[in-house]
Amino acid sequence: MAKNQMTKNESLYLKKVNRRKLSGSLEYTTSKLAYQVTAVLVFALVIWQIVLPLAGGKELSTISTALTAVYGVEFLLQLITVKRIEKEITGAAGEISNTTRKLGILLVPFVVTGNFLLFIAGAMLLKKEKNLEYQLAVYSLLVNIFIILISLFNLFKETLVDTFWLGIGFYTLYSVLNLVIIGAVSKYTFGKKPDKKFMPFAVICLLGIALGNVFSFVLGLITIGKYRNKNEEVSVEWIDVIKRLFRNYTAVIGMFFVVLFIGISIGSNLTFDYDLAIANNFSARLAEPSLMYPFGYDDYGRCVFTRIIFGASISLIVGLVSTIVPIIIGGILGAIAGFYGGTRDNAIMRVMDVLNAVPSILLAIAIIAAFGVSTMNLILALSVSVIPSYARTVRAQVLGISNQEFVEAAKACGAKNGTIIFKHIIPNSLAPVIVQATMGIGSAVLSTSSLSYLGIGVEAHVPEWGNILKAGSTFLETNPYIAIYPGLAIIIIVLAFNFFGDGLRDALDPKLK
Amino acid sequence: MKLRKLTAVLLVGAMVLSLAACGKKSSNSGDGGSGSSEAGSETIRLLGYSYYESTMNILRDQLTKAGFNVEIDMQPDYASMVTARDTGNWDIAMSGWTTVTGNPDYAVRDVYASYGQYNAGGINDPKIDELIDKASQETPSEYGATYKELEDYAITENAYSLPLYSTRGIRAINNTVVDEKTVLNPQSRSAYWENYSYVDPSQNETRTLMLTQTMGDLTSLDPIQANDGSINQLSANLNVRIVNMTPDDKIEAEGSLSRNISIAEGNQAFYFILRDDCYFSRVENKHVVATDVRVGAEDVEFSLERAADEKSVANHKTYNLHNHMSEVSIVTDIEELKGINDSDTGKPVFDTLSEGLPSEIQTLTADKTQVDNANGVYQVVKISTENPFPQVLYYLAHQSAGILNKEAVTEMNSKFEVDSYDPTKDVCYGDPAAIKSGNNHLWMSGPYALVDYDDYQVVFEKNPGYMAGTEHEAKINNVAIKFIKEPTSATSEFRAGGIDILDAVNTNDVATLQEDKNYTVFVYIRHATTYCDFNMTNGNKFENIDLRKAVFYAINQDEFIAYNNDLVGPLYSTASTLVDTGNKLEFSLEKSAEHLKAYQDSKK
Repeated sequence: MAKNQMTKNESLYLKKVNRRKLSGSLEYTTSKLAYQVTAVLVFALVIWQIVLPLAGGKELSTISTALTAVYGVEFLLQLITVKRIEKEITGAAGEISNTTRKLGILLVPFVVTGNFLLFIAGAMLLKKEKNLEYQLAVYSLLVNIFIILISLFNLFKETLVDTFWLGIGFYTLYSVLNLVIIGAVSKYTFGKKPDKKFMPFAVICLLGIALGNVFSFVLGLITIGKYRNKNEEVSVEWIDVIKRLFRNYTAVIGMFFVVLFIGISIGSNLTFDYDLAIANNFSARLAEPSLMYPFGYDDYGRCVFTRIIFGASISLIVGLVSTIVPIIIGGILGAIAGFYGGTRDNAIMRVMDVLNAVPSILLAIAIIAAFGVSTMNLILALSVSVIPSYARTVRAQVLGISNQEFVEAAKACGAKNGTIIFKHIIPNSLAPVIVQATMGIGSAVLSTSSLSYLGIGVEAHVPEWGNILKAGSTFLETNPYIAIYPGLAIIIIVLAFNFFGDGLRDALDPKLK
Repeated sequence: MKLRKLTAVLLVGAMVLSLAACGKKSSNSGDGGSGSSEAGSETIRLLGYSYYESTMNILRDQLTKAGFNVEIDMQPDYASMVTARDTGNWDIAMSGWTTVTGNPDYAVRDVYASYGQYNAGGINDPKIDELIDKASQETPSEYGATYKELEDYAITENAYSLPLYSTRGIRAINNTVVDEKTVLNPQSRSAYWENYSYVDPSQNETRTLMLTQTMGDLTSLDPIQANDGSINQLSANLNVRIVNMTPDDKIEAEGSLSRNISIAEGNQAFYFILRDDCYFSRVENKHVVATDVRVGAEDVEFSLERAADEKSVANHKTYNLHNHMSEVSIVTDIEELKGINDSDTGKPVFDTLSEGLPSEIQTLTADKTQVDNANGVYQVVKISTENPFPQVLYYLAHQSAGILNKEAVTEMNSKFEVDSYDPTKDVCYGDPAAIKSGNNHLWMSGPYALVDYDDYQVVFEKNPGYMAGTEHEAKINNVAIKFIKEPTSATSEFRAGGIDILDAVNTNDVATLQEDKNYTVFVYIRHATTYCDFNMTNGNKFENIDLRKAVFYAINQDEFIAYNNDLVGPLYSTASTLVDTGNKLEFSLEKSAEHLKAYQDSKK
């Protein structure tokens, strides 16, 4: 009886150990999510593309059947991989064997079908020692591939924009460079300080920002930052933050989508035809989705897919600008209020309270009604209403920080107030603001869309997600896809910003160091 | 070493390509630039309001393709658009015109004549005024040619107005609630509420019939002070007129205050013999009250005289409809009727007026309290026009010729001088703000009485004194109009059961409604048009004919028709739906470019 009890406890303990081992393995986390999501996708595809058409008496289309089959294969492959990883990690060796790692080569190419999870899982499996640089390089490549894939949908269209092949060439070249960088990363960036030979690559990485590839840009920054770090014993703090951020897989996926949307809104200028998004074409009014027009046409005969792609840039620009502007204004006001206190604090914060008391969407509507419908006014309207929340956050931070020893020390050294505020206090109070901002961008995107939906955001013909959604809402019963896809785009970007913001908060939280 | 070489090669490659990209891109933007330098050179400010959103979008697209740079000024509602239009900061403005009288004179006079009340663009051409007057004096067989001449001159030659499309009437009813046999779909006049009845007639007593309209700011409830979509339907059912219009635009006495009508020889004098079973209603505590005051010849005389008098009220919106009447009088001498012949039959007017009366005409009276049709006491009204003008009967069927109570109007309007009328201070008869705040001073002669009005709806009750016991007596006791700005929202409300009759259905919703067997959708001819005004006032650039024509030729009406699922038709002038002139708008980007160039050259 006692023995039985003991073995039971032991097995429970073992299970716990195994579980901890598994969750510590990046290969396992990524693979597990990949196979789970693929399973859901396969299920949805089978229902939607095979069961429903068969039940409706329609013929199966070869493309969708093939796609379902490919996803089925992906699922099986991923399932096998996960089982192997599980067995090997919990097994005697305690680590993944080289044969299993080689399975990664099979997984990676499936990115062509749009399954990025499989790509990430494969890439993580392929390499044993995955430092931050390697991960960043992999994600950077993934973003590039996705932009190319999305752009290649245009091949099905009748005409291509003049700069299409240039754009594709650009991204292909950058992807090749990226592959080289992945190679170089494995070779040169071990340890605290990267090899000098990596520096040219770091410069190329920095150039990636021109294509909107933030991953590659961050990779460049990190290596240069590490290289320039004089004291090798002390790690650079912001690099540590990113390192902690990359431990959170959900946050990274959120970041991936954000970067992808930034990238596509830049890349679309080369590879997408703006005319398709904005010029009416009544011969194709309300046409169903097809390969040529993946999301179908709207009621003016405009390509919904192209409209959503171009809508990304408007949503992001409005989201970013209307978050940065209040951070600056609110941040300065909050810092002054918190640092000086007394009458100044009272005066500023009461004004903020008044501003806060007005419902933000109502304030936005009032501002737009007064100044007219335009993107500039929209940004202004969205900015004004969130200033108080940033001012409050910064003030609270500054209140806490301005009593700390290093501020006392700076004062004792005779530093001017301005120097203290801008050099010591603001940098140290930024963390919560950054987190709030990331979440704020998501809600700004939502507000933009809701104002456009009400007809007071951007002008109706401009491809903004809220506008597309509004156009689609009329046809919800007859042509639901016009509303579903922009809705999904809004959901994805808001979720992405929220996941990213969550991850960032954890990464910035000093208690979780 | 090898890797380094590779890197160098790749780097150089990247640089070359990015340089090439810059070169290519600049060449491309150059191409676009040459196009856009032309496009950017002529900016057009397009003014409209949310109702026209889709039309404005199509217009913007077409003008952009023709090389214009279009700035859209979309106002939230009609009233805001009118305010914006009055400031003059616009080039092209959206307009709609419905010929609610069904005659071509009305279709063109207020829109194209230099003195037209709805001539927002400032068309001022003596030849147009002349042609309109000429056509008005002609019979239908003659006026076709004159209206064609008018179109050729005003639209083809001078492009004074930009025709877009003609709208059909689309009315949807919930056939589980409203008996579809009682629904008439008139081409011109507003809906007849008195005919409506429920499928279950026992509901007529208790259930409120829910209607809807987009405009919630009523302009005025004095029939002559407004003539727009906000009040047309209301006014037509609140006040009776001395002639009625059938659904297919025929003038008849049936269903009006007259028992018979006679046009005297010469087409200059018109006789009307009145009914005695029509009484005013008024409102107390938001419920209808019978006044037992008969609607008589004195009221007709009063109402029509003030309609024909430009100075009778401060905002006379329908003077152009009624200024043809030179005299309105009460006839008391039977011999006068016997001594003059009817223009149609050639028999004495007396015989025409006597047809089918409850009793033979014994005496005529000028006092409405003495009237007793059963015992042969009648009232006859005579209307004379300055020139022979047979179309006057159409105007008498219009809501603005509604009969008001002489005493009620005089009481309200005698409190101030018309010349010094101040809308912020003075309350005139039919002032909607006063009615909203509870001062419901209206006396109503029609089948329904307006009992309550707020920001969300107008409520009506049946007038108990309106032709009681005849087939024209209203069947349903309570009616309400809900204000819903958005046509799509109105459709949703209709489908949710909140609205019983949807008078205007968005063309994109028709297919969905037709699929449901609980709804009957009527698509019928309606003389409603959508067009644009060019701003030709105060030296605006559209005074230039080449610029107008550049826009004119850039319009492709087929796209408007396609967008509206073929539920709208082509248009050339506001009279297009009434007179077939054979004119069609020509779409030609080449001609548009030619005229644009001519305009730009003339500016240099």
